Amino acid sequence: MVLSCTLIGMTVASSYSRRPGEIRSLLTALQMLETEVSYGATPLPEALAYVAERCDPRVALLFSRTAQELMTMRGITAREAWEMALNEYYPRSALTKTDRAILLELGNSLGISDREDQVKHLVLAKEQLKLEQAKAEEASLKNTKVYNYLGFLGGLTIVLILI
Amino acid sequence: MSVLRPLQPPDIKRATPLDEVLNLLPPNLRQMLSELPLALRETVEEIRIRQGRPLMLGLAQGDCYVTEKGEPASCVTDAYVVSAGDVERVTQLVSRSSLYALEEELRNGFITLPGGHRVGITGKVLTDQGVVRNIKYISGFNVRISRAVKGVADRVLPYLISPDGRFYHTVLVSPPRCGKTTLLRDLVRRLSEGIPELGFPGVNVGVVDERSEIAGCYRGIPQRDIGPRTDVLDACPKAAGMMMLLRSMGPAVIATDEIGRREDVAALEEVLNAGVKVLTTVHGASLEELADRPALQYLFKIKAIQRFVLLGRSKGVGTVEDIIDGRTMRSLGVKKC
Repeated sequence: MVLSCTLIGMTVASSYSRRPGEIRSLLTALQMLETEVSYGATPLPEALAYVAERCDPRVALLFSRTAQELMTMRGITAREAWEMALNEYYPRSALTKTDRAILLELGNSLGISDREDQVKHLVLAKEQLKLEQAKAEEASLKNTKVYNYLGFLGGLTIVLILI
Repeated sequence: MSVLRPLQPPDIKRATPLDEVLNLLPPNLRQMLSELPLALRETVEEIRIRQGRPLMLGLAQGDCYVTEKGEPASCVTDAYVVSAGDVERVTQLVSRSSLYALEEELRNGFITLPGGHRVGITGKVLTDQGVVRNIKYISGFNVRISRAVKGVADRVLPYLISPDGRFYHTVLVSPPRCGKTTLLRDLVRRLSEGIPELGFPGVNVGVVDERSEIAGCYRGIPQRDIGPRTDVLDACPKAAGMMMLLRSMGPAVIATDEIGRREDVAALEEVLNAGVKVLTTVHGASLEELADRPALQYLFKIKAIQRFVLLGRSKGVGTVEDIIDGRTMRSLGVKKC
């Protein structure tokens, strides 16, 4: 009993500790995208595929799916492709609604303006994600411990009550 | 999301050049254009997409509107009106969602696509100290469908090759839209391949394709058949390009489109002096008209050009009206072929 409650506590705790890591990976991936766009002037589908190959596998889906959708040339815009990929990626990630909103916002401007402007939007998204990351790290430090203890102590309490 | 519905195959499944550009258009426009009668799909030259205005097709003779059901129409009230959403989608598809990668192309006002098709773009132009920097608020497109017309050079070639199997310095003279570039491209291909019936072996041809019209390069790779021995400098200024080719590629013939500026003529003279044959085109309806232009006057004076081919459309696009010997300035007796 104590063991299972501890495990539940640890699972909840781990979801808190996953988020900062994923945001960090997203930041790295967006940095790669920015480099591709600003220095390489690589077309978006190829740039996204390139990022997907090299970034953290946990966030790769977002980029690879968008690239795939765009490469089919079936008439959708970059925003739509990004949104579809995000809808697929978000439920599997540890991201929160705020993180998702930031990414959605980025999708609105993806590929539709000159280099300078693209970089601005990417930098903005990164800044916002960095803030979220700081918050996430703080929350993770606090909550990881809390849920770990809570699980263990909760288990202990139940055992005591049952006895 | 109706937009995401896959494209229905058209009733008559015969591939036309139009099909190659259809995937640049949003699904609703694709649907309309694929419903057009086959004869129209085979001959359409341009698709005109202007925001807030009727969807139109440019044909060999005139133009027509397109209705929402994909029928040609002559009355503007029946026409499908292009929406802001359509334009946004075309922008994304034409640029592959990467406008930032096309700054150079936007500065020139057009994008070349795989297959050699071109899309002209209009909108609000941003300038920086008088130089065009970019196009913002894109609002109009002209999709020009390219067709390879092979064999148009056949009837003029006998006049352009000397009896001992050498190519004459040649200038094609033509008003706009009379098949000047088409003829130039086919000449380049034949010179590059070689013309056994005239005893002309294939030679290295250098092409300076400033407006990407001759070879229709997509990412530097020619999309048209321009022959096996042809080197292309795509989007390169003519004068600089001719010098580059001369220095490094060892061409026997250098071909360019639309000579007009002084520096072009100066570069052309360099080419002539280097013993390399020249093949180029000039905008104009007659030789008299050309002689009035200061930059070209000089070219006439040095009598370097051996053949002038005059084009027109008196018997359809690409009619060869006359071929003139540059030394004697007399007609070689070719009339309207």
